[in-house]
Amino acid sequence: MGRYITRRAGYCLLSLFLLSLTIFFFVRVTGDPAALLVEPGASAEDIAAIHHQFGLDRPLWVQYGLFMWTLFHGDLGQSFYYQTPVFDLYMSRLPNSLMLAAVAMIFSLIVGIPSGILASVRVGRFWDSAGKMFALLGLSLPSFWVGLVLILVFSVYLKWLPSSGAGTPLHLLMPAFALGWYFAAAHMRLTRSSMLDVLGSEYIKLARLKGLPEALVIAKHAFKNALIPVITLAGINLVIMVNVAVVVETVFAWPGIGRLLYEGITFRDFPVVQGVVLLGGAMIVLVNLLVDILYATIDPRIRLER
Amino acid sequence: MAQMAGVRGPAAADRLHDAQLTRRELLGAAAIGLVAAVPAIASAAGPSGQLTWGIHVSMAPTWFDPAETQGIITPFMVLYALHDAVVKPMPGTSQAPCLAETWSKNEDDKSYEFVLRRNAKFHNGDQVTAEDVKFSFERYKGAAHELMKSKVALIETPDSQRVVFKLKEAWPDFLTFYSSASGAGWVVPKKYLDKVGDEGFKQAPIGAGPYKFVSFTPGVELVLEAFEDYWRKTPSVKRLVMKVLPDEATRLAALKRGEVDIAYSVRGELAEELVKTPGLALKPVVLQAPNWIYFPEQWEPKSPWHDIRVRQAANLAIDRDGMSKALFLGYCKITNNAVVPYTFDYFWQPPEAVYDPEKAQKLMAQAGFAGGFDAGPLYCDSSYSNMAEVVVDNFAQIGIRAKLQPIERAGFVAGYSNKKYTKGIIQGASGAFGNAATRMASFVVKDGAFAYGNYPDIDELFPAQADELDHDKRSAILAKMQQLVHEKAIYAPIWQLGFLNGIGPRVGESTFGTIPGFAYTAPFEDLTLNAA
Repeated sequence: MGRYITRRAGYCLLSLFLLSLTIFFFVRVTGDPAALLVEPGASAEDIAAIHHQFGLDRPLWVQYGLFMWTLFHGDLGQSFYYQTPVFDLYMSRLPNSLMLAAVAMIFSLIVGIPSGILASVRVGRFWDSAGKMFALLGLSLPSFWVGLVLILVFSVYLKWLPSSGAGTPLHLLMPAFALGWYFAAAHMRLTRSSMLDVLGSEYIKLARLKGLPEALVIAKHAFKNALIPVITLAGINLVIMVNVAVVVETVFAWPGIGRLLYEGITFRDFPVVQGVVLLGGAMIVLVNLLVDILYATIDPRIRLER
Repeated sequence: MAQMAGVRGPAAADRLHDAQLTRRELLGAAAIGLVAAVPAIASAAGPSGQLTWGIHVSMAPTWFDPAETQGIITPFMVLYALHDAVVKPMPGTSQAPCLAETWSKNEDDKSYEFVLRRNAKFHNGDQVTAEDVKFSFERYKGAAHELMKSKVALIETPDSQRVVFKLKEAWPDFLTFYSSASGAGWVVPKKYLDKVGDEGFKQAPIGAGPYKFVSFTPGVELVLEAFEDYWRKTPSVKRLVMKVLPDEATRLAALKRGEVDIAYSVRGELAEELVKTPGLALKPVVLQAPNWIYFPEQWEPKSPWHDIRVRQAANLAIDRDGMSKALFLGYCKITNNAVVPYTFDYFWQPPEAVYDPEKAQKLMAQAGFAGGFDAGPLYCDSSYSNMAEVVVDNFAQIGIRAKLQPIERAGFVAGYSNKKYTKGIIQGASGAFGNAATRMASFVVKDGAFAYGNYPDIDELFPAQADELDHDKRSAILAKMQQLVHEKAIYAPIWQLGFLNGIGPRVGESTFGTIPGFAYTAPFEDLTLNAA
């Protein structure tokens, strides 16, 4: 088990190293931050001064070396735009993103799981078709459009909810819905297919032959087993919700990590983009590592096969 | 105002007495008088109420420190509230005396003396002194700081209210740069900065502007409060909240709901909707940012663009009015000067722009391109691709076939300045500060950062204007340069961009457009709320 964990942890570190390399070089291909801090027509001296201030006048490999050196010391660098440490910025936005992701996740599970179960036990009938339609819309409607429609209906016409910003529970509702709908659809689809797999298994047939009530068969025997992949997916989705709710957070002016990433990209704030992507990547890698370890603990064949 | 109400009261009572009114009428009249006097009393009592902005970009702490002002206009939306400058653009003039009551320059143009106001104070109550002015200039590290510091030999402070800038040589643009083309003239308190340091200052800035810093949440909002001892006047509005709302549709929704009172940058169809919404008003501002079409191939003898008639035809083919109405509700300013904004010193007004596709086609035929030609890509900043689309269409009508090539802003500016777009057409823009000379330096004369070629007759005028200390003579030289740019059709000017904003029903005086070329609300002390 120890060797297995060490090997998996090694893969994780390698993944993060490759991620750091990729994001570092790719973000620099997107353009020069100085071009966004001055107007066209600014003097060459002003542009050179900005390059010097941000260390962009050094060779790329030197910049990368410095970036890794500071990273090993737990420092993600200083934001070009905000002039504050990226880690501080990230931590200031993290609670907002966690809160939004948590509410969106609760919404997606409350809606996605029951509708998935309903669709699976009513295959080919109205609820199944309705569930499929719900999933299709959830997965295909862009979240910025959903967000704008919500604002139009609930803020502008009905005047029930604030259009944007943060501060009260009411501010959370629309962004959580816009963010959670996509994931609700994904959870609904997975619950449905997982339930259908389980409902076709021998032990469910046995339970029915024993004369157990259908509600008990579904709730106790089928649902519990079908839930495992859904919960696994929900865990990973939660990390994704925290880190990549870029569009929803921008539309609703929600001060989270997604918007920080958007601002970083908009202003070519390389340290912010690097920091947000790396921390998001680290979260996903960590969750996957924990899941791998958990699986290996539950099922020894996994660690022996690998 | 309270005094006026007091004077008005007895006079009105006399007239009422003369008219021999009943007691009920007298009481009614007294009640009306009381109601009418309430706003005046409130105003006399000091600032009151709150105004909330929906800002289109995230504010950065660097905007709180004038020393870090880069060459873009956005930080000035905050600087005008928090800080004040020795001389700065104000309504009606680009060089208004602010912290300086007066200034003068000596005869050889090598020395500028500023006399500071005695009633100018920082938010902590300290008086603005000559040492603060000197300190602010010396710590300035933003746009054009190297240029300015290379020109200034010495700063003397003969007493606490007088500052003398001694230049190494005569520099006619000193005041342009000191007052508007940089942040060097904006003054910060030396004592406070010595105490808290640069980082501490950005956390809790203290300035000499009409509004005090209250709080800042990055990416969320900035809160300011009226500084009642501001020298120019006590602000009327007590509290200002600037909320960051990056999405344009969300800003409009917030304005409609009354969550914000002022929304920056609402364009296109959303602006049309804003106009149609009862209670809201559109506030267009003409920016100091001209847009233009540039022909980088004009110096290549084999290119169609080498023929001036083709460039003139392109000029005649652009339907500027139609484009402005379609895209910016007609609020762009068509000056026909390609690179110099009308608000700049030494601006030269060319003849009016003409839209005449028939004449353009005749010119094309005379140039041997009756059947048109393939012009290659039209490069543009993708955020202005809506304009470029119209230009491509206009050109197609006279046979100039161009393909739109929108590029994301940072990449476009890098490509433009690195002179990568040698083939095709470029749609450019600049909101850089300066004057006509600085624009000529960047966009027209030899080795200009954005000049793909040059004309010797224009080039030889450039050093002449730089050496000329007489304003009128220099103005004549710069006018001649701009005239040559126009006559040679080096560019096809489009317009100065209209920046569309919205205000809600609570806003009285919004101050939009009072400072020519400035995009945002200012001066903040002139803002008012409508009486409820």
